[in-house]
Amino acid sequence: MLIYISKRLAYIFLILVAMSILIFAITQILPGNVAQMILGQFASEESIKLLEAKLGLNDPLPVQYWRWARGIFHGDLGHSLVMDRPIAAMLKQAFMRSAVLAFFSFFFVTVIGIGLGVIAAVRKNSPTDHIVSVFTYFGISVPEFFWGIVFIMLFASYLGWLPSGQYVEMTESFRGWLVHLILPVATLTLTLIAHVSRLTRSSMLEALQSQYVRAARAKGLPERVVLVRHALRNALLPTITILAIDVGWLFGGIVVVETVFSFPGLGRLLIFAIGRQDLPLIQACILVITALYSFSNLFADLLYTYFNPRVRYARKAE
Amino acid sequence: MRVKPSEKKEISNPKRMCRRIPVSLMIGGLLAVLIVLMALAAPWISPFPYDEFHVKDRIQPPNATYWFGTDEFGRDVLSRVLVGSRVSLFMGIVATAISLILGVPLGLLAGYHRGSVDEIIMRLTDILMSFPPVILGLLILAVTPPNIIKTAAAVGAVYVPVLVRLTRSVTLGLIEEEYILAAKARGERAIYIMAAEILPNAWPPIIVEASLRVTFAILLAAALSFLGLGAQPPSSDWGLMISQGRSYIDTGPWIALFPGLAMCITVIGVNLMGDGLRELLDPRMKHR
Amino acid sequence: MKRMYALLITFIALSLLLPLPCIAGGHLKIALTGNLNTLDPAKSKTGDEYMYMFLVFNGLTVIDRNMTVQPDLAYKWESSEDLKTWTFYLRQGVKFHHGREMTAEDVAFTINRIMDKATGSRARVNFLMVEKIDVVDKYTVRFNLSIPYASFPDIFGTRQVRIVPKDAADTLATKPIGTGPFVFKSFAPGDKVEMVRNPDYFEKGKPKLDAVTLLIMPESASRVTALETGEINVVWKLPMESVDRLKKNTDIIVDEVSTSSWDGIIMNSSKKPFDDVRVRKAIHLAIDKRQVAEIVLFGHGSPTHSPIPPAHPFFNKNLSFEADPEKAKQLMAEAGYPNGFEITLIAPDGRPVRERLAVATRELLKPLGIKVNIQKLPWDKFIADAEGKAAFYIDGFFSRPTVDTSIYPWYYSSGSWNKGLWHYRNAEVDAVLDAARRAASLEDQKKAYLKFQKLVVEDDPPSVIPYSVNHIDGYRKEVKNLHSCPMMWLDLRDVEIVK
Repeated sequence: MLIYISKRLAYIFLILVAMSILIFAITQILPGNVAQMILGQFASEESIKLLEAKLGLNDPLPVQYWRWARGIFHGDLGHSLVMDRPIAAMLKQAFMRSAVLAFFSFFFVTVIGIGLGVIAAVRKNSPTDHIVSVFTYFGISVPEFFWGIVFIMLFASYLGWLPSGQYVEMTESFRGWLVHLILPVATLTLTLIAHVSRLTRSSMLEALQSQYVRAARAKGLPERVVLVRHALRNALLPTITILAIDVGWLFGGIVVVETVFSFPGLGRLLIFAIGRQDLPLIQACILVITALYSFSNLFADLLYTYFNPRVRYARKAE
Repeated sequence: MRVKPSEKKEISNPKRMCRRIPVSLMIGGLLAVLIVLMALAAPWISPFPYDEFHVKDRIQPPNATYWFGTDEFGRDVLSRVLVGSRVSLFMGIVATAISLILGVPLGLLAGYHRGSVDEIIMRLTDILMSFPPVILGLLILAVTPPNIIKTAAAVGAVYVPVLVRLTRSVTLGLIEEEYILAAKARGERAIYIMAAEILPNAWPPIIVEASLRVTFAILLAAALSFLGLGAQPPSSDWGLMISQGRSYIDTGPWIALFPGLAMCITVIGVNLMGDGLRELLDPRMKHR
Repeated sequence: MKRMYALLITFIALSLLLPLPCIAGGHLKIALTGNLNTLDPAKSKTGDEYMYMFLVFNGLTVIDRNMTVQPDLAYKWESSEDLKTWTFYLRQGVKFHHGREMTAEDVAFTINRIMDKATGSRARVNFLMVEKIDVVDKYTVRFNLSIPYASFPDIFGTRQVRIVPKDAADTLATKPIGTGPFVFKSFAPGDKVEMVRNPDYFEKGKPKLDAVTLLIMPESASRVTALETGEINVVWKLPMESVDRLKKNTDIIVDEVSTSSWDGIIMNSSKKPFDDVRVRKAIHLAIDKRQVAEIVLFGHGSPTHSPIPPAHPFFNKNLSFEADPEKAKQLMAEAGYPNGFEITLIAPDGRPVRERLAVATRELLKPLGIKVNIQKLPWDKFIADAEGKAAFYIDGFFSRPTVDTSIYPWYYSSGSWNKGLWHYRNAEVDAVLDAARRAASLEDQKKAYLKFQKLVVEDDPPSVIPYSVNHIDGYRKEVKNLHSCPMMWLDLRDVEIVK
């Protein structure tokens, strides 16, 4: 198992290197003179050349890449061109906030998504099942930004129950912190809950019809034990795979949701960076986001391996 | 996944096929066809040009003249939604076409040749798949002034790996079939085998996947337009309309609502059609 | 164990019952429209940054609500007969936020820094006539100019010209130190700027507020909602589409003032087809300015001919705002474009008023056969790539303190903004602007500027300046002594929150 994990980690590392090269390459295509952007349009030729030399923009690209990559290993994510401050601190702060959002969202997606799926499967073809079905169908067809706007229209504008955006530090007010998280989390989770519950439902249905479930029932085991210990355990496998893919959607969704709710997290920082064509900041944000994505995929893979006895034993046999 | 001769006949027999068409396909297909027709006919059936100002009637709720109300310039929201369907569908279809054109041949190559070609293609798709979809789109569009074509291309690029993998696995499944081995023994060129023997049998799951991809592509393109990296004003692309309607949520919620509803209906329709297609083309395939 | 539960439940219940962070005595929360890219006054370029500059820094002079120059760090100034030598007398005992007293050395340092090309300050062009800066003594500084300039003190009231300490200039971007009524506390990029009261502020009894937080909320709808719910007290630059609705809200005060800030449909005279004056005149005649002001500003602005606003005594009332499509088509045909042409119009991202102007322009030029494709650029890219270089774009400028500073740099053929905007050359305009500068009396000045407006509207328009914008702030009624200012910043020295 350990060998497997270390092999995967090494692989991820290679992928990250390749991704960083790709990110670096693409962002370097950005037209427009970086130095001129900092100094403004009235800057003279000499001061532009001076700044270019200072920033090392005249060095060959591989050298610039190596400088950037080396900096990352030392925890230096670069220096924001537009805001003139080191990126690492900004990014960490934004990341913490996005992490809160992601954590809550993931929790609810898992609990409610799987829960709904199980209920729908168990009460197949009942009204409950149909309601859940319709709800999930809408959930996967509607984009997050639309949900977000509808929620704002309903809960913030019309009813005035919840704030329409922004963020309150937990240290400033615990209640405020929670309240400001409700709508963004709800928006993020809706689509994913729909996705996860649909999948859980169909794999639960399959599991419920399988041989060992029938055997367990024949043995006279109480229904609850059959459900949880036998059916659910196996239904969870494809669910975990989908959860892993959904983490990808979560990352993408975070960018959109943070924009709609003015939530000051990593996603909104990235959009700021793109809006101002702040190269180092764009590179750093995308690198961090994709690294997180790769690691969460690895984690999902490991979970999958753990829960899937076939794979686990095949591993042992190696 | 080999199509048995008897099944082949069944599909080409319309009467037998009609009995097998699932309800979802009919409803979904109908919706999808309606929407496509609407998109094509938009310039003629819209009551007003999509960019025509009626400043005295700005930000009016739905009424007899303007069925969906008007926006901040007094433009008719109904006309804009109708014309916007062209942009959204265009981006979704072009993006899917791009991912098919690039992905299918690569998948065929990978599945047919195996070995180092396979390894290289797989590693490349691995790298691309390591990016969450929206992020990859943002990365590509961050470097250049955006427009519809570039956005469609970016979305297409995002979904190439999916098509590559699918085509590859289908190809792998077919490669040991007798007629492929026979063609190889005959000395046919690889390109011929891939195009004429493998592809015709591989297309059912690819088509199903492509229909799913269209909805993802429409949604992703709309998200990118919403973030400002897609269609530009005064285009009435749905994502852009929703983004610009945000400023008027309290004074004119219909400006953002109607394009959103239109998007939902389109996506639901195409999803239903995809579901139905899946049921029709391979009832043995497990439900996703 | 039970007691633990009880305590836990009580704690949760209490924290839920406690109201949301309420506006504790004297903590003002203001919503801004966009992120601050820099905390260094010399490098500031956006309205949101200017807002913050005025709270943390001071200048030698300040321009008040009535657009007159008042003393700030300098309590007195005088000039030589020929208006070429200016001496400023600084207040004594003014402390920077890090404790040291402000002296003439800091003033000289600040201005030299702004004049240094390497700093890249937008205010540099205002000081081109300064030849030498003398530190006469600890509290006196003298400027020697190359030309006579009557309104030299006005320049010190402008945005980027805030006095900074010479020993803390390198860290201004992260730890800004000024002399202002509020001390910088923290900045979370994309989120907020926090400031606290300066207890040693040189004006006794001010400021009255304990703290100010500037919240960055790019979503116009969220800003308005936050104001209505009371989450924030002030919205700077209220979105125009919400104004009429908020005026009906009894908890909120809407303060609207006319300004000389203007937007323009810029035509670059050094690029085809705008090198032909007939094309520029045609486009000018195709635009009905009243309609544009209505469409773009929702009525919160007034049509104008030039940076001189309608409220100004020098405004030329005899010129027309109306469009003349027949004459416009004729001119286009004469210039060789009877069927129009296709062109790209660049608009800066994140500025909804200018985006609306772009869309309106597109619509209004259709009858001439001109097909306009709108391209949006991010602000930093816009000022680096488009300003002064692109052929056709939307730009805008905030109020300047005097008529001369609002006109000369743009319209004079060697004017600094001219070269960086529209490359306009007209010898008659040059002559009339020089005459205005030399004018002995107010009457003569007015005559010159009346003629100027006629020239740039009827004879040779450099671009189309359709309107001057009103500035609107919205704030809750508990906020006292707050007033909108034509220079578009907020003076918070007397403001307090009274429940």
